[in-house]
Amino acid sequence: MTLPPLLQSEIEKLINEYVLVIDDGELDRWPQFFASVCLYKIISKENFDAGLPLAMLLCDSQGMLKDRTEAFTKLNVFGPRTWRHILGAVHTTGTESRILARTNFVIFETLAGKDTHIQCAGEYRDVIVREDKTLKFRERLCVYDTTMIPNSIVWPI
Amino acid sequence: MAEPLCTWPDRNDRVPYWIYTDQGNYERELENIFYGPVWNYVGLECEIPKPGDYKRTQIGDQSVIVVRDIDDGVNVLVNRCAHRGVKICEQDSGSFNEIMCPYHQWTYDLKGNLLGVPFHRGVSGNGGMPENFNLQENGLDKLEVHVRNGGIFATMSDATPPFQDYMGKRILGYYDRQLDGRILKLLGHSRQRIGANWKLMLENIKDTHHASLLHVFFVTFGLFRVDNESRVEMDQTGLHTALSSIRGAQELNDGTAQMRSFDSKLNLNDPNLLDAVHEFPGDQTVVMQTLWPNVILQQQSNTLATRQIVPQGPNAFELHWTFFGYETDDEEMTERRLRQANLMGPAGLVSIDDGQILERTQEGIRAHPNCEGVVELGGRETDDTDHMVTEVALRAFYKGYRKVMGL
Repeated sequence: MTLPPLLQSEIEKLINEYVLVIDDGELDRWPQFFASVCLYKIISKENFDAGLPLAMLLCDSQGMLKDRTEAFTKLNVFGPRTWRHILGAVHTTGTESRILARTNFVIFETLAGKDTHIQCAGEYRDVIVREDKTLKFRERLCVYDTTMIPNSIVWPI
Repeated sequence: MAEPLCTWPDRNDRVPYWIYTDQGNYERELENIFYGPVWNYVGLECEIPKPGDYKRTQIGDQSVIVVRDIDDGVNVLVNRCAHRGVKICEQDSGSFNEIMCPYHQWTYDLKGNLLGVPFHRGVSGNGGMPENFNLQENGLDKLEVHVRNGGIFATMSDATPPFQDYMGKRILGYYDRQLDGRILKLLGHSRQRIGANWKLMLENIKDTHHASLLHVFFVTFGLFRVDNESRVEMDQTGLHTALSSIRGAQELNDGTAQMRSFDSKLNLNDPNLLDAVHEFPGDQTVVMQTLWPNVILQQQSNTLATRQIVPQGPNAFELHWTFFGYETDDEEMTERRLRQANLMGPAGLVSIDDGQILERTQEGIRAHPNCEGVVELGGRETDDTDHMVTEVALRAFYKGYRKVMGL
């Protein structure tokens, strides 16, 4: 079924703001995009297609999202860089109470003093719900195509 | 033009930097090590459970196919058609009944034997292969294989010692502790490419004390830290190492007080991540084995993995992670392993730091082939220790490396 146009634009706003917050480095705000009960996974297309459960990054609670934020911003050691998410069109299905969305992404990474390269390409597969009047990700799977990650993923996708 | 400096300094507590950057040295490594008398790790049996299942991997620069035979054995075949050299298999994994090269349809069985060649007898009396063309002499190159408790190893040399002798009793003890004969359950793969020499990855695991300084996450939560009860053990060649350690508390003590990165107040919002359960004999919560030349077999709490090191010239390597559990794991245990897998891999809470620092090491040494690294922590000897405030495993490793490389 087609979702109402207003809802469609609200979904797109959520998905756009999410990547802006990451690209702007405001990771403290990252967990706020998720529902109180949530699942976030970065999983390779290879594992996803084969039905293998291993995720490169897995958070299955708000607490784990916050711990990751802490690690990314304070604990992990990595050089300065810029991330730029480029999104494709948002394709939505499902119902108003349980929206399904799929959106392609590419992340360009620019390391200080080096060329810009593609760090990761893939697709978001989202389950979106309304919580406290705001749309939130109940589930956000980042299914990535990149078979060989250039070094590491140091921020959320 | 300057000749590469290819002599080792006259002491075992220094490591010359040209071994990480010199193309000629890299090519000698391929011959002497990866294509020489070693057992290369190529995968786990649980990746190819059924007859015909295969995975593609690499030994040195060479692509190989690891395939489950119809008689349940495991074959490792060089991924190069005997006809014109085409890389036959492109997929990372899959299943086939026979192996056919798409170019001229030379077809092989799962043992690599050539079954047939199109137009073998010619067409309408024209062409065809010569009378004395022998199918048996034109199969895929086949490697010697050894399978132990689910781990698959292959060698290209006739001079490789039997697997047991190659690993040595002590290392084999640790190997069998983790791969103990239970059927393994594949959880998934992840892969990353790191712009550093392949030996730096092995060193990173053998260098026990970096974890206490670089990895704030380990340090803070006591997962792997110099003040933990631990051991560094080598085989007699010094090339294989087993590090083992017992998880410590988040407390201020003589060790943690010296770590700038230690934070006694840091707490996890969701402690589920570190909810480890005891599952192996003994008290060790971490065992990291570097099995020469190309794999790390690791247990960190309940997350189990192999890290296969695939060199890509002197200045880069790929790291192929395979995470696994056991067929007997219940759902709760599988979830625990998957949650703890957050520590490792290309986005690992601790391994992010390693990928980054190894690349910076390579960048630091690249322009300085004639300089040397210092490995003096814990003295200048190469004997086992019952602590990890030491670089002993690096000294032992390079003692073995020099022998293998004739340096």
